[in-house]
Amino acid sequence: MADPRIEDYARLLVDTCVDVGPRDQVLVQSSPLGRPLVEAVTRRVGERGAWSLLRIGFGADAGWANAAPEELLAELPPIERHALETCDVAITIVAPENTHEMSAIPPDRQQLLRRSAAPIMPRFLSDEVRWVGCQWPTPALAQEAGMAVQQFEDFLFGAVLLDWDAERRKMERYAAAFDAASEVRIVGNETDLTLSLDGRTAKVDAGGANMPGGEFFYSPVEDSARGEVAFTEYPAHYQGRDVPGVRLRFEGGCVVDARAASNEDYLLSVLDTDDGARCLGELGVGCNPGIQRFMRNTLFDEKIEGTIHLALGAGFPQLGGTNVSTVHWDMVKDLRQGGRIELDGKVVQQDGRWAL
Amino acid sequence: MRDPRVDEYAGLLVDRCVGVQPGWQVSVRATFLARPLVEAVLEEIGRRGAYPILFMSFESIGGPFERVAPLELLREPSPLQRRIWEDVDAFITIWAPESTSEGADLADERRQALEERAKPLRARTMAMDAPWVIAEYPVHSTAQDAGMSLEEYTEFLYGAVLLDWDAEGAKMRRIADVFDAADEVRIVGAETELTVSLAGRVGAVDDGHVNMPGGEVFYSPVEDSAEGVITFTEFPAVYFGHEVEGARLRFEAGKIVEATARSGEDFLVKTLDTDEGARRLGELGIGCNPGIQRFMKNVGFDEKIDGTVHLAVGNSYSFTGGTNKSAVHWDIVKDLRNGGRLYADGRLVQENGKWLFDEA
Repeated sequence: MADPRIEDYARLLVDTCVDVGPRDQVLVQSSPLGRPLVEAVTRRVGERGAWSLLRIGFGADAGWANAAPEELLAELPPIERHALETCDVAITIVAPENTHEMSAIPPDRQQLLRRSAAPIMPRFLSDEVRWVGCQWPTPALAQEAGMAVQQFEDFLFGAVLLDWDAERRKMERYAAAFDAASEVRIVGNETDLTLSLDGRTAKVDAGGANMPGGEFFYSPVEDSARGEVAFTEYPAHYQGRDVPGVRLRFEGGCVVDARAASNEDYLLSVLDTDDGARCLGELGVGCNPGIQRFMRNTLFDEKIEGTIHLALGAGFPQLGGTNVSTVHWDMVKDLRQGGRIELDGKVVQQDGRWAL
Repeated sequence: MRDPRVDEYAGLLVDRCVGVQPGWQVSVRATFLARPLVEAVLEEIGRRGAYPILFMSFESIGGPFERVAPLELLREPSPLQRRIWEDVDAFITIWAPESTSEGADLADERRQALEERAKPLRARTMAMDAPWVIAEYPVHSTAQDAGMSLEEYTEFLYGAVLLDWDAEGAKMRRIADVFDAADEVRIVGAETELTVSLAGRVGAVDDGHVNMPGGEVFYSPVEDSAEGVITFTEFPAVYFGHEVEGARLRFEAGKIVEATARSGEDFLVKTLDTDEGARRLGELGIGCNPGIQRFMKNVGFDEKIDGTVHLAVGNSYSFTGGTNKSAVHWDIVKDLRNGGRLYADGRLVQENGKWLFDEA
């Protein structure tokens, strides 16, 4: 018999996160390992009278990406572009065999592949298409998290199958305090960063575009970030690569100095992808009570209760963000050991605990 | 390292079979079990400066969505799907099912809805509007049906696909010339005496293009011409995971007027009642692949067995002059190697599966 949590997960995705309706065209993207959830999701899509268009791939597809001419990499094939431009719903179930499979593709080719997504990114960053990204507990993800597969499975379902209405109410209270403030200051280990949320409002993620949800986030005023932030607790993690000890100095909203304890070249190559990659697209605040530890898995790490994350690159147009980039790199900063958040000079979180 | 035959096979599919050109968008359909060949094909497409559009599934026929979606939705391709079928420049389909009984749980109405859904695709491929190929990749399920271990089956498969296709093509061309010149073909064998007309029709030689393995010469017979009886006593007729034993079809003026079977008769009759065209012949094919000698419940191979013919009920290929339209295209194989005969305009041209003219 199938694990009943799979059916709950599928309903959460199809019914709650993207609310599939009759005759919606639903892209369902995953790898062969995501099969149990993919099958439950496509069945649910069918039950709701919508079309499922299954897109299963073998991870990075390095064979093609390394053999094809560079000009092809930088542009989506018209059919893929059309699919992403016209689908009503996209459900992406990340289920990697190996979280480092992108390393088979040289960084310059990876950069071209990232650029190919530029024309469709606005659609996905706005609310024009209903989409959700989630994960399926594969051995690779468990390994990355330093857990046994079954342990990771329990952890994942624990972070995902929550009472999302209650979580939403809790996060809305925190977000109201940020909405009312104009300046946010983040203080912590080697960190003192100020940014403005003037005129910006929060998006509360309580089971929407990401599963697990459990954050509220902003696109900060583009030219406002100033000061320093050091990601000393956890490595910054992007497309299968780790960059430990990232230190960023912001002036006028953009990174003017970037260093790293190692893999600095990779950090700089991503920051040089395009003009917007050096500017701040997001400030997020992690609130998921089911996630307490870092596991080299951004989708979870950015939700750790007591952390914030900053994303370099694309902002969210529906949150007033105007920064455009094909990069969106979330970096997580732990505030649970001596960190604090101030709103207009008043401490609202200390050591990861809310003082609201 | 990959079995080098996989790369050779991928090169054959991408180059010879569909002739991928720079900038093309190539639909690659497969199950995940075909991974080594899929990866080699994607790489080969990249080397030719083209885009693969990968459609990989878990089940080859049906699936969770197809079991529950409302029938009217199933019958209609989504606009996106339709657009994909219209826009791609070539189709490579790799057959590698987990189980060859996939689809057997689909209710008849669902199976028919799926055939209905595929009509726009079928219209394009049947008219050869875009190059396409259906290829086999060796997996346990098809090995099992063939009564072989996977290792044996793999050897067998490469023996049937990695041939000198130019030489095979020349041989089959000479066979096609004989039938092109004839108006009437008579098939005689066990409980079988069937006449069909090929007047005005020209044969297609499958020399390693649309099917892999190739190795057949095929026609769209004149739609109202079939007269007589054919009995498929040697092999079961296999379709969508169903098996029909001892199917016996009687034709009058091109139409099946009586259909019986030792087993599976209900399925046979139901399929023939799918639509108007399902009771007429869509194809007469002649198997010519020297690497294939035995039946293995796998139509892609069985229809190529040297010394057999096959008849398809249902849809015909418009590029061979066919006009019969149906959602069905069911190839059924008749073995002529034990006492069978083929006549072209009354002249005996094949006996016991051996050609009586010099085909070399």
